[in-house]
Amino acid sequence: MLTISIDRSIEYPVYEQIADQVRQLIATGALAPGAALPSVRRLAGDLGVNLNTVARAYRVLEDEGFLTIRDRAGVVVAAPAEEIDETVRADLVDDLRATLARLRQAGMTPEELSAVAWSELLALDGDRENEDE
Amino acid sequence: MSEAIVVNLFFTARVVFLGAIFIAFPRISRKGLMFGVYIGESTADREATRRLLSSWTRSVIGAMGLTLALGYGISLAGQPVAGNLTGTAFILLLALGLYIRFHFKARELAPAAAARQGEKAVAVLDAGEPKGKTLAKVALAICAVASLGAFAYANIAWDPSAELSYLVVMSVPAFNLVVTPILALSAVLTASAKLSVREGGGGRSAEAQAAFRDINTSVFSWMALLTCAFLTVLSVQVAHFEESNKGALVITLLVGAVIVVGFGFGSLVRIMRSYGQGGALRERGGVDAPLTDGLADDARWVMGMFYVNRNDPSILVEKRFGIGYAFNWGNRTAVLIMASYLVLVLGVSAIVLMGALTRG
Repeated sequence: MLTISIDRSIEYPVYEQIADQVRQLIATGALAPGAALPSVRRLAGDLGVNLNTVARAYRVLEDEGFLTIRDRAGVVVAAPAEEIDETVRADLVDDLRATLARLRQAGMTPEELSAVAWSELLALDGDRENEDE
Repeated sequence: MSEAIVVNLFFTARVVFLGAIFIAFPRISRKGLMFGVYIGESTADREATRRLLSSWTRSVIGAMGLTLALGYGISLAGQPVAGNLTGTAFILLLALGLYIRFHFKARELAPAAAARQGEKAVAVLDAGEPKGKTLAKVALAICAVASLGAFAYANIAWDPSAELSYLVVMSVPAFNLVVTPILALSAVLTASAKLSVREGGGGRSAEAQAAFRDINTSVFSWMALLTCAFLTVLSVQVAHFEESNKGALVITLLVGAVIVVGFGFGSLVRIMRSYGQGGALRERGGVDAPLTDGLADDARWVMGMFYVNRNDPSILVEKRFGIGYAFNWGNRTAVLIMASYLVLVLGVSAIVLMGALTRG
């Protein structure tokens, strides 16, 4: 069974904790395209948080293209886009640039950055292959 | 066999049954919970916890002895029914008093670290739809229509020349109307009850709880349907009661009571033996991880019995002590359901009493 957990005692917002974990599960292929997620009410009930918290997490994921929210079908994992939208690409590259700058500022060398990026990508692909098997 | 002996036999059986249930409750609880307090998983294995549990068993046995002495005493004074009722009320009050005493003792066992666990929560993403939800909805529809129909039918069918009074005839469909739809509604709500999953454990905790929720949904649904069928048939028979058809009514009463009580009792024993509270018995062995959220947070529980959390949209949450689910009193829908039920009980009682006054 796939589970997500939250911790209210840390500073990081709960909706972002939820979004991060769902995003990760989709990225690794643990949640395949078309997989149904619990309704806002059910997930909020099980986590003991306000409905708006889960709704906000789902909205963020929908805006990012990870989820599709329909009234009748509920919340399902969206299929990856076949072709990247130029605006989305520009936004994400900006985010990546900002993250790279922070990592450089934190003391990582370009070689270390490159190695980390490759290992993260391989881990994502590896998890997906494991899911497929 | 004299009436007093029969009454005392039933009384003794009831006291033994209640005592056995009370003794079993802390033993079928989820690990880490003791008398409605989250003491933490490691504390649950300590000697002090075992001593508390033994002390509870001795106290309950003592309460059973006192209750039987009181009931038999009143019975010997020539009032067996009064002894039965007084004794039953006495053991329930004693058990409540004991629970409160042991609840405070358990608080002394809880380490400060356990309180922080309530800040965490775990949810299952791929559990799918709970089993039995459709059956529960069908049961609710059938019970609502049948009990309302039987009530209206008995009201119309009764006439002043009948052998039984209006109050006696209407008491059966009235009982049906206030009991069976709420049983079926409990099934519907149970199907959507909160899952309080342990942190970690590879999904075993979630599976155990989902199984516990499913069996409770199923038991409530069938209990509602069986009770409704029994009381609806009985309502019609009572409405047409004559001395000549007394035998048929007695057979319905006996067969119905045996089926309903047998099913209820058997289901309770099955859930306690095979599942434990919240699936505790299926969870053990594989999961020693901490409880999270609703069950671990003492601040959200009043005396370990009443859950109050306005931020939690759950209507039903797992009980901390006992078997089954408790209302979230911080949830508006839950409060509205209880208030509506109170209105239904008062309304049905008022209709029957007014009918008895005006029609005889």
